[in-house]
Amino acid sequence: MFKDFWEVVRRRYPGTGRRIGFLLVALVAMVFAGVVLVVGGAAGLAWTSTEKFCIGCHEMRNNVYAEYKDSIHDKNRSGVRAICPDCHVPREPVPLILRKMRATFELWGHLTGVVDTKEKFEAHRSMLAQRVWKRMKQTDSLECRNCHKADSMSSDLQSEKAQARHAKARAEGTTCIECHFGIAHKEPDGPGPKELKFD
Amino acid sequence: MRSGLTVLASALALCASSVVWAADVDEGAAEALMKKSNCNKCHSLDKKKEGPPFRETAGKYKGKPDAEDKLFTHLTTHPKVKVDGKEEEHTSLKTKNDDEVKNVVRWVLTR
Repeated sequence: MFKDFWEVVRRRYPGTGRRIGFLLVALVAMVFAGVVLVVGGAAGLAWTSTEKFCIGCHEMRNNVYAEYKDSIHDKNRSGVRAICPDCHVPREPVPLILRKMRATFELWGHLTGVVDTKEKFEAHRSMLAQRVWKRMKQTDSLECRNCHKADSMSSDLQSEKAQARHAKARAEGTTCIECHFGIAHKEPDGPGPKELKFD
Repeated sequence: MRSGLTVLASALALCASSVVWAADVDEGAAEALMKKSNCNKCHSLDKKKEGPPFRETAGKYKGKPDAEDKLFTHLTTHPKVKVDGKEEEHTSLKTKNDDEVKNVVRWVLTR
């Protein structure tokens, strides 16, 4: 029955077979392109979120990465590490993509040498730190809390000092970064996250 | 005249002594030891944390001849300090080497 139907179509509308064939090829090509874009995009996101990628630029390697080395997030008893994207790249999808897009400006900064010497980096340190503190204050230190869950902090395993500090922070609504700044990287001059007000 | 000269000589000596402190500080070693000892859990360079900022300490002890000794004692004898109205023991640096402690003391005093 289909054969008869096809015969009628072929006679009345010559070239239909070619058009359908073309459409099928185009569809397969689009699906293939889509898969390549999705897989490529995911691979790109994953690759640009590795420690090796981040320290590919000497501005990071010689300054903030050198400071981070041997800090508690790099070396500790259990060997569990927090690397650059753990603190500096959001995990939620939209903020993640936005951050990656904004990172293209960092590429431009690298190419134009905005912070390519120690002196230039130090001159920009405060501004760079405040950018990070701003996001952390606005999200209640989300990147900290991705790993450090307050409800999972065992008071038996924390020192008395830590217990007292955290109890005070809970009572005052202090967010992690307001006390735990300058831990991974050298602190800049000027006001800290507690003093700064971000809208 | 004599007292004026004495004052001038003392002032020059004090300046020289602070220059000696500055010249004698191994910044890298001091910062590494402080990092290892977690000093910046409670102390910042110029911002308020649980403990006084290092610049405030440097200013407080500026020109005092016994500054180095006092801070050395502070960092080696676990004195009681008040934090949020409670008394706690001040931790010491993670070293048994007195020279390394003195280096950190000089680092603080030259902020």
